[in-house]
Amino acid sequence: MRIDTEIIDNHTGEPVPATLHDEVTIAHFLETQKEWRPVVVGAAKKLHHAGAGQQIPQHWHWDWNRKAPELGLLPIRFLAVECEDRLQGLMKVDLVSHRCRISGQRGQELVYIDYVEVAPWNIKTFTEALGLQPRFSGVGTRLVEAAVRLSQDEGFKGRVGLHSLPASERFYLSGCSMKGVERNLNKQGLLWCEFTPEQAERFLRGEMR
Amino acid sequence: MKTMNTDPAWLKRMADLEDGSFVSVGGWVTALEEAEAPARMFQPTRSAFSRLVQLARRERNMTVELLAEESGIRLADLLRIEQDEHYTPTPRVVYRVAQCFSLPETELMALAGLLEVSDNEFSDAALKFAARSAPVQELTREEHAALQEFVRYLTHREKQVS
Repeated sequence: MRIDTEIIDNHTGEPVPATLHDEVTIAHFLETQKEWRPVVVGAAKKLHHAGAGQQIPQHWHWDWNRKAPELGLLPIRFLAVECEDRLQGLMKVDLVSHRCRISGQRGQELVYIDYVEVAPWNIKTFTEALGLQPRFSGVGTRLVEAAVRLSQDEGFKGRVGLHSLPASERFYLSGCSMKGVERNLNKQGLLWCEFTPEQAERFLRGEMR
Repeated sequence: MKTMNTDPAWLKRMADLEDGSFVSVGGWVTALEEAEAPARMFQPTRSAFSRLVQLARRERNMTVELLAEESGIRLADLLRIEQDEHYTPTPRVVYRVAQCFSLPETELMALAGLLEVSDNEFSDAALKFAARSAPVQELTREEHAALQEFVRYLTHREKQVS
């Protein structure tokens, strides 16, 4: 699957062509993490020096290669946004493991966003630490849009759920207008966020509250 | 999936809202963390399981040895259940604990970490119980009340689920 789309080039403030595709393997994923790592390490050093290292979610410091044996056993598929021949963002979804929790649609099937990241050169925390501006904008938005459209294709009517990390809550609650449902004690107190079909449709039309 | 939103105004507005922020989620990452370090994770249900066994035993004025004799559970297993909150007993041992104290088996399996608990109410109740029942030599009235209340909750939940 390859779909033409656009993201925002922050140098011009205008949309540029990008591609949404599902041609990412675990090997490709690990290569991508290796490519992202120097940006993360460089920014993290500066942030730690400034006493602001806690702004970076812990797993950004992981050496994913150490987890390779475990990951290689899993049937994993990703959706990715590519631009200028580089992966700008990655998302892993699961159509089976989680169900809706909002009252009124409790127990219904949904697309669960299991993993999603935007490349570090598109994240302000990293780029500002390095004295730069994010290279592209709207990558996370495109990935959430892809999850909603996948949910519609699967007959889940746009229902999407995820466990947001604290650093991302503003994006999901204010940016996407997902509903923050509950904090899950079995997931380190992370906030469960969910789209109803109506909220998902409003997100796609840009008619958030 | 055939197309994406082609409206540039929508994209610009959404990109502004995204504002270069983190979009990280916890599903896969926390699952990998937990798989690597289960012993370091605080599990409120497992903590409640330890306290529940301790209090139920003490309420009956039983020593661990006596409980081992009467339940047929190995002494070492009972000690680990009561004192090592990261120890996961076997289903057979949990079944015997349930039989011995007339507690609902399925709920006890969930508390012991043998069944996945998906509702927060259950975890909250376990957390509150663990917090309210700090160990002392004899059961206080509050501990007794906490124990009774939690056992009532487990029994009520078992009936609701079944």
